[in-house]
Amino acid sequence: MKITNIAGGLIAATLVAAPAMADKLDDIVSSGTLRCAVVLDFPPMGSRDADNNPVGFDVDYCNDLAAALGVEAEIVETPFPDRIPALVSGRVDVGVASTSDTLERARTAGFTIPYFAFTNVVLTREDAGIDGYESLAEHTVGSVAGTYEGIALEEDIKKWDKGGSYRPYQSQADVFLALSQGQIDATVVTSTVASAIVAGGKYEGLTIAGDAPYLPDYVGLIALRQEYGLLNYLDLFINQQVRTGRYQELYEKWVGGDAPDLTIDKVYR
Amino acid sequence: MGNYTFQWRQAFRALPQMLDGALVTMQIAILSMLIGVTIAVLLAVARNSKNRWISAPATAWVEVARNTPALFQIYMAHFGLGSFGIYLSPFTALLAGIAFNNAGYLCETFRGSLRAIPPTQTRAGLSLGMGPVKAFRLIVMPQMFRIAFLPTMNQMVWAILMTSLGVTVGMSTDLTGVTQDLNARTFRTFEFFALAAVIYYLITKAVMLGARAVAWRLFRY
Repeated sequence: MKITNIAGGLIAATLVAAPAMADKLDDIVSSGTLRCAVVLDFPPMGSRDADNNPVGFDVDYCNDLAAALGVEAEIVETPFPDRIPALVSGRVDVGVASTSDTLERARTAGFTIPYFAFTNVVLTREDAGIDGYESLAEHTVGSVAGTYEGIALEEDIKKWDKGGSYRPYQSQADVFLALSQGQIDATVVTSTVASAIVAGGKYEGLTIAGDAPYLPDYVGLIALRQEYGLLNYLDLFINQQVRTGRYQELYEKWVGGDAPDLTIDKVYR
Repeated sequence: MGNYTFQWRQAFRALPQMLDGALVTMQIAILSMLIGVTIAVLLAVARNSKNRWISAPATAWVEVARNTPALFQIYMAHFGLGSFGIYLSPFTALLAGIAFNNAGYLCETFRGSLRAIPPTQTRAGLSLGMGPVKAFRLIVMPQMFRIAFLPTMNQMVWAILMTSLGVTVGMSTDLTGVTQDLNARTFRTFEFFALAAVIYYLITKAVMLGARAVAWRLFRY
């Protein structure tokens, strides 16, 4: 009687303790699908081809990640402002969405080590009379709301205070439309996007007027802040992508030239 | 939502910024109503005109304003006119878009109200020696505004809520613009949007209660 009681107690205790917490990484592996938030109006990182299929650096990166995990990749189109809601609501597992790793954002989302780095350039119209970053001070400029370069540009315009003004638009496409119409005289965008747009020829008379003197814009993958297992895996995955040369290979495919250095001198990450 | 921890302190710290945004929102809504009401009176009179050259443009305005989305109208005021070299700032484009929409809806409200006023009133005015303009201004219009007052305030609420569409044309100083900016910087989406929703609710509630108080004071029989 007593022994059965003790045995029953032990069994009950193991049953209660047993459900070892399945974390997000377990969920992804057992569900067989990896859902990535990718921004698809941000070439060459993400866009759609002639048949409306998602293509780009971030799309390939998600496919690589899914292959490493042994699951199917699902690309979930996510505009820039919707990345966190998509993660939190459980619509996606990972954001492969060129997300700048600011300390302010890291209070909310979990960032990996950088998987890409952007430099920024001034994109302007040939007839706007702009010959470099400093000359933006007296002009109406714009960028995509809340992006790294948008925030930096807005701060500089305020600091210069020489009659220039800043307009945040909701998508990259609206910024280019406003620029080509003459609503704004210039924008600051990542060099990859700028060269894709100038080469694309969809908007005429656009030209690159030098670099914007910002720090390199390091971007990380994002996941829920508390999912250490997943974040850990993602860090190692990024390391392997660089180590195996796949990072350089993807960079050549989508951008061309030497891929930017993802390490920072004199400090660990 | 189980994996999101709300951090209200950070959101409340941004409250002064958001209230500044709410002021801009009110400014646009009130201006758009003043412009909208003025144009709507003219449109209502024009639509009742027997002359087709006068009534047709007014009808066209009302048709477009009422049967296309407000988002489209605001977008057109910014990017549509922009492609013809007419550049409206985000503030002006938003104001123009909403005023255009208000005028269309209010025109129909006013026209309905005009129908409710017996034509004998105008005739009585004319028989007292008033001209048709004076009879309209002194006799018909005050009654029209009385009948249309609450529906007009309804449109005011609608105008306040429509200002949130300004972000699509680069508006950054109104309540939604400020909220979007805070969201992009901090990723605390749900706190800021919840706070913005409460502010919108309180503004529109205040407008409705204020309108009812004014109506009770002015329009008792």
